[in-house]
Amino acid sequence: MKIDKKITKSFFLVAILLLVTCAFLFAQSLEDKVHIKKLNNGLTVILVERHGAPVFSTLYGFKVGSVDEQPGITGISHLFEHMAFKGTPKIGTSDFEKEKPIMDEVNRVGRELSLELLKSDQADQEKIKKLKEELASLEKEQKKYIVKDEIDQIYSNAGGVGLNAGTGTDLTQYVISLPSNRLELFCLMELERIKNAVLREFYTERSVVQEERKQTTEAVPMRMLNELFMGAAFIAHPYKNPVVGWSSDINSVTLEEAAAYKKKYYTPNNCVLAIVGDVWPEKAFPLIEKYFGEIPRGEDPPVLRTVEPAQIGERRVKLEFAAEPLLLMGFHKQTFPNKDDATGSTVAYVLTMGRTSRLYKDLVRDKQIAVSVSAYSGPGTRYDNLLTFSAMPRFPHTNEEVEKAIWEHLEKLKSEPVTEQELQKVKNNIEASYIRQMSSNMGLAMTLLRYQLFYGDWKLYLKTKEMYNAVTPDDIIQFAKKYFTVENSTVAYLVRKAK
Amino acid sequence: MKSFKSLKYITIIVLGLILLHALAFGQRHPRELPPPEPLKFKPPKPVEFTLKNGVHVFYLEDRELPLVYITGMLKCGSLYEPAEKTGLASLAGTVLRTGGTKTKTGDEINEELEFLGATIESFISSEFASISANCLKKDFKKVLELYADIVMNPEFRQDKIDLAKNQSKESIRRRWDMPMQAASVLFYEKAYGADHPLGRRVTPKSLSLITRQDLVDFHKKYFAPNSMSIGICGDVSLVEAKITLENVLKAWKKKEVKFPEVPALTEKADGTIYYAYKDTPQANIYLGHLGVRRLNPDMYKIDIMNYILGGGGFTARLMKELRSNRGLTYGIYGGVFDGKDRGLFLISSPLKADKAVEALGLIKDIVKGIQENPVTDEEISEAKNYTINSFVFNYQTKNQILTQYMRLKLMDYPGDFLERYIDNIRKVAKEDVQAAAKKYMDTEKMIFLVVGDEKRFDKLLSAFGKVTTVDLAKIMAEERGEQK
Repeated sequence: MKIDKKITKSFFLVAILLLVTCAFLFAQSLEDKVHIKKLNNGLTVILVERHGAPVFSTLYGFKVGSVDEQPGITGISHLFEHMAFKGTPKIGTSDFEKEKPIMDEVNRVGRELSLELLKSDQADQEKIKKLKEELASLEKEQKKYIVKDEIDQIYSNAGGVGLNAGTGTDLTQYVISLPSNRLELFCLMELERIKNAVLREFYTERSVVQEERKQTTEAVPMRMLNELFMGAAFIAHPYKNPVVGWSSDINSVTLEEAAAYKKKYYTPNNCVLAIVGDVWPEKAFPLIEKYFGEIPRGEDPPVLRTVEPAQIGERRVKLEFAAEPLLLMGFHKQTFPNKDDATGSTVAYVLTMGRTSRLYKDLVRDKQIAVSVSAYSGPGTRYDNLLTFSAMPRFPHTNEEVEKAIWEHLEKLKSEPVTEQELQKVKNNIEASYIRQMSSNMGLAMTLLRYQLFYGDWKLYLKTKEMYNAVTPDDIIQFAKKYFTVENSTVAYLVRKAK
Repeated sequence: MKSFKSLKYITIIVLGLILLHALAFGQRHPRELPPPEPLKFKPPKPVEFTLKNGVHVFYLEDRELPLVYITGMLKCGSLYEPAEKTGLASLAGTVLRTGGTKTKTGDEINEELEFLGATIESFISSEFASISANCLKKDFKKVLELYADIVMNPEFRQDKIDLAKNQSKESIRRRWDMPMQAASVLFYEKAYGADHPLGRRVTPKSLSLITRQDLVDFHKKYFAPNSMSIGICGDVSLVEAKITLENVLKAWKKKEVKFPEVPALTEKADGTIYYAYKDTPQANIYLGHLGVRRLNPDMYKIDIMNYILGGGGFTARLMKELRSNRGLTYGIYGGVFDGKDRGLFLISSPLKADKAVEALGLIKDIVKGIQENPVTDEEISEAKNYTINSFVFNYQTKNQILTQYMRLKLMDYPGDFLERYIDNIRKVAKEDVQAAAKKYMDTEKMIFLVVGDEKRFDKLLSAFGKVTTVDLAKIMAEERGEQK
């Protein structure tokens, strides 16, 4: 350890001492507040008591995402997430017995139409036209029985806020926050949704998702570049596919495939439920058990076999798009709980976090060749992933210039140890972020859920902090030497499309 | 006796059937749950007091975590900047923090704060400056000292002005990259007027005319203790907060603040469709005209109307029809909003290109629909139930409560506004919603701003109304010329 000035040293010691005390209190108070229970069907429930305002936030997640998809059905996790808002035999219909046979017909015609469309040039256009008309008239018939968006309606009437869901590479999660006197309503609604989801209005929703893809990917320069970048960085592993799916797959996936997918992955044994807020475990657990306990355990979901082969050479891709230049640079690395994950995040902090980070000071503040540089691990964490740098060059500077400048900093990390002060600053910030994380019910729920769902123990969240604290300057040198090589790099440029 | 017995049997059979029914079809319908116990909750209210030099303080204790939040608000903004120096207020907001103080450079402040894992950030919008900080409890005094120094003695060093200008010029280059952002910039310009501070675009030229002295003068003119509110929320006692504040702000002297006259907004909307070509997969639309003045007496009626028309998630009419029923968009939102003088009535959405013109007609019909017919009982009751039952989420965290009171005070809302809000919502009737819809939206006047590629649309926009073309390529070329 090299410390330059004596005065700095004493300052460090005080800071470290105070932080250690804080950390201890934090871990202690969190362990006291977290209650956990595994139901007989395999569902894990995490309750965190926070008796401030009379509200609670809920989040439940299934360990399923785009990483579990195959060619042909990319985007199905996300599409199913949309379908989970369409109701059940009780919710969303005025008469399910009458609606059901029409839905079966919708299913049949939809499948036939999808198959015919897949023939593309050889498709029978007359047949397509006929099937489309048939589908439209069946959907119109079904609509007579549909109570539109009743899930949203019921929650809204109850004062629920933030009803939503999200799909990622690694998991699919559902969220809602409610006044604290509505826990039973939550249990009943979600039991219905998990156990008996009815995929009504499937083909209209497919069209919504197609528009979502255009809005959030095809119209967004960085998202388009990222899609290309991931496809280049991963050649075998499904992290190469976009979460929203490829347009052709969204267009042809059928209701039956979505239902089969749900059956495989939406099981209580593949799920964690987290509730944070004004809840009392002695009242809440029996209620949760009464409802969620009804969901039958399912088979264990299939295990992903494909492992990304080691990269054996530089990969470079280019997107021509009507926008200003953008740059992505990624390096394959091991994921949590391997210690390289914590070292990688520390490197990301040292290089890009805040106005005192190395890349900010050099590229953004001094040379002014970029307006922003950031770094993050992704696209998921369940499998080995990438440490990615993302930058926006500043006109008239180019992607090439920015890439070169980033490389210089990566090289420097291989030979010169980061300073004690830099490393301590990172640790202080991580410490503060752990405390801030506690201030939001939903934020805390999301964090605990991830660790429980992916690694079977939310307490690993506390362990991550120890891992960050253990990172040494030498770890960073070793990390840089191991990963920041040309052979292990994928670089993507967005360049303005020539007119 | 016998009949009694058979009645009993029948009862048993009926009960059995109900049970079987329940087994076969699972649980009850959620609507059949008994009504919940009423919530017992008295939200905390911040303590308010005024320092000797006039700084108005809001304080709320929160001992749950070892954190303190500091929030500062002050009246000033781009509304009051000269036209030729558009961007001045925003630049001042950035460099206030990054440009350092009389005694410390911005870089020194960065090092100090980031080592503590603390933040101080500032920005200035059209009407208000906001300077917020967040730190661990142990650093409260040190961070508040820095905070006060930044607010009172900013130095606006030239190197950070240049950095902020260069960054801003780059975002001007990039603002046309995203179609919805491009549409919003153009819509604001057309709806508020290119000559009004709310409609003006910052350009490389206007930025280049701003000098360090302008920033210094701007700060001198508007930053006065008697115009500032500071909120302290967190793990710190009232006494400590008060003493520390008095101490760090004592050198700040009261002064009179004068605001230049802001030109009144006049309605520019005349039903025109503005079309800007961009090679992008959807038709990105903003439509509307001027909205209402803040504290409009009809605000409760408007809130309910907005919920039903375009604010209330999936059950709002626009969302229900365009997304859920027809798959024409991933999202559509809108309503009548307020502003200091006037806000905007606006609806925005990225639409499916090959149904764009059909969708525009549909949106217009939906607006007309809420004007021509009363909303349904179901709609108004959901809008009210949601507003009333979710109101408690306004009090979710202590800091949220504190900043809410600060904002309301700054915007001259009555002191009991929050307390009376629910009662005022309860009073809204179906006729009120319809009357508000008629009064504050005009489907003939509203303008349409469309960014996209007309070749991909179902019909030419001219089939829908009078079209004026906006040449985006020309605007970009002009801005780029200025930059050189």
